[in-house]
Amino acid sequence: MEVFLPIAHMDVNIVLILAYGALVGFLSGLVGVGGGFLITPLLIFTGIPPIVAVSSGAAQMTGTASGASYLHWRHGNIDFKMGLILLTGSWLGGGFGVYLAKVLLRAGEFGNVVVFLYVVLLGFIGVSMLIESLQAVFRSGAPAPSAAHAPAASKSLVHTWFERMPWQTSYPVSGVRMSALGPLVLGAAVGVMTSLMGVGGGFIMVPVMIYVLKMPTKIVVGTSLFQLLFTTAAVSIMQAGVNHSVDPFLALILILGSVLGTKLGARLGARLPAEKLRLILALVVVAVAIKMVVTLVLPPAHIHSIEVEVK
Amino acid sequence: MMARWLRCLLFFTGAALFDPAWADEPLVVVPETNEVKITTEFAGTALKAVGSMRGPADLIIKLVGPPQVAKLSRETKIGPFWVEGETAKLDGAPSLLYLYATAPIAEILPPAALEEYGLRLEGVPMRLEPQLQAHVSDDWRKAFFRIKERQGYYHEDDTAIRVFGNRLFIANMRLPGDLQVGTYTVETLVVKSGKVVGRNVGHFTVRLSGIERWVWNAAHDHPWLFGGVFTLLAMLLGFALNAIPYGRTR
Repeated sequence: MEVFLPIAHMDVNIVLILAYGALVGFLSGLVGVGGGFLITPLLIFTGIPPIVAVSSGAAQMTGTASGASYLHWRHGNIDFKMGLILLTGSWLGGGFGVYLAKVLLRAGEFGNVVVFLYVVLLGFIGVSMLIESLQAVFRSGAPAPSAAHAPAASKSLVHTWFERMPWQTSYPVSGVRMSALGPLVLGAAVGVMTSLMGVGGGFIMVPVMIYVLKMPTKIVVGTSLFQLLFTTAAVSIMQAGVNHSVDPFLALILILGSVLGTKLGARLGARLPAEKLRLILALVVVAVAIKMVVTLVLPPAHIHSIEVEVK
Repeated sequence: MMARWLRCLLFFTGAALFDPAWADEPLVVVPETNEVKITTEFAGTALKAVGSMRGPADLIIKLVGPPQVAKLSRETKIGPFWVEGETAKLDGAPSLLYLYATAPIAEILPPAALEEYGLRLEGVPMRLEPQLQAHVSDDWRKAFFRIKERQGYYHEDDTAIRVFGNRLFIANMRLPGDLQVGTYTVETLVVKSGKVVGRNVGHFTVRLSGIERWVWNAAHDHPWLFGGVFTLLAMLLGFALNAIPYGRTR
């Protein structure tokens, strides 16, 4: 069953795109990640132009993050002061990233940059998660080494550095005090990633907020989602405005699929132990990274490729 | 559907037999439609052209899509990785080029006529940027035609035209799903003894239709407004699908 995507200017199988959305939603419900880092490579594998995949992925995350953010807001899990500083940074970073994407598109390097960023990021995160979750599975009951050591390591270096930086302010909801520059820079880095890679950045943001900024876990999840919602919304608007690359049909199909998948994943996730859930996610991330590396290393089937300018 | 085509055939049979004005122009071609609309479910379409001629003769139908701008790139190996390397911009080549005939075209027309009427897939004119040495430029052109043939946008077929009683014919043209919008040209040639003796040129338009057209226009004419409204809609949809059902079950 084919559907024509007016912005990508190609027809795709609607069931396949729904399945992508459902798969990412399922993982999101299972292990609590946004899934942007999976949806963009999957869309690129399908033949959707990278800029359309990245931009429509951002729009899809806006849709899926809105409901979850609302729930966290109702439960008082959002530190709005921290969230607004993160958001300021991510909007600035996102704006810079959108124009950087435009420059890379003109230079014909956008596809290369996106693939390499994914390989590096997914490889690093996937392997780290895999090691940590395997250790947790084999030493069930004992705390994972990374979780145990990360806070101590970060307190001695990064957190102390944050305490000495200017613009010190307190965050009553999170119960911490630090320079506003810390979350501002973190938000900016995540904003650039959202524009270039179509990811929400939760998989970077959450560990940094827990281990470096020392925020309580439940506030971290709510605040991260709040930041994710408005960052991806801003990037979606900017990508549409600057690059005309948000395909509404693609984003809507993905949202529908991901909502269904999230509900299924959340049900299964409640029955499985946490370390096994992390192992599943790690395996998926590593598999995507390996697929991308294989694509880069193996000689291409055709040495030339063509990209038609759609008028 | 069949009855419609039979009526067309009968009409043109009568016209070909009784209209003396067609003695010097022994070819009439009527495409099935003058417009192809791309809608949500569009996944390619079959287009027919029906016509009459003063046979027996061979027929060639050349279907040419609107010109396009394309970026051609060549994969380069940097260390262990294959990445996008050199690129060239190709402008002016038709987005689609189908050559239909009643026999292999090279067998019914001499090379000079093939050149004159643009009946070689690799003979279409195009501009290449940057300007390169002839042999380098030729490599890019050949690569372009290989890709176009592989993707099914350029091809030659000597089985798609059916001729009835040396006078009437129907050509079945299968158009792909991702057609470029614009004006397409259908040029029909009648060939006798290695010479073109009749020629007919028709056109049809491919355009986005319905919501696809609206979305495309909105995304390009008012991109910021489109982005803002769509993102808000995505937020509301996600909220409605996620939050409301959850709230009722609590």
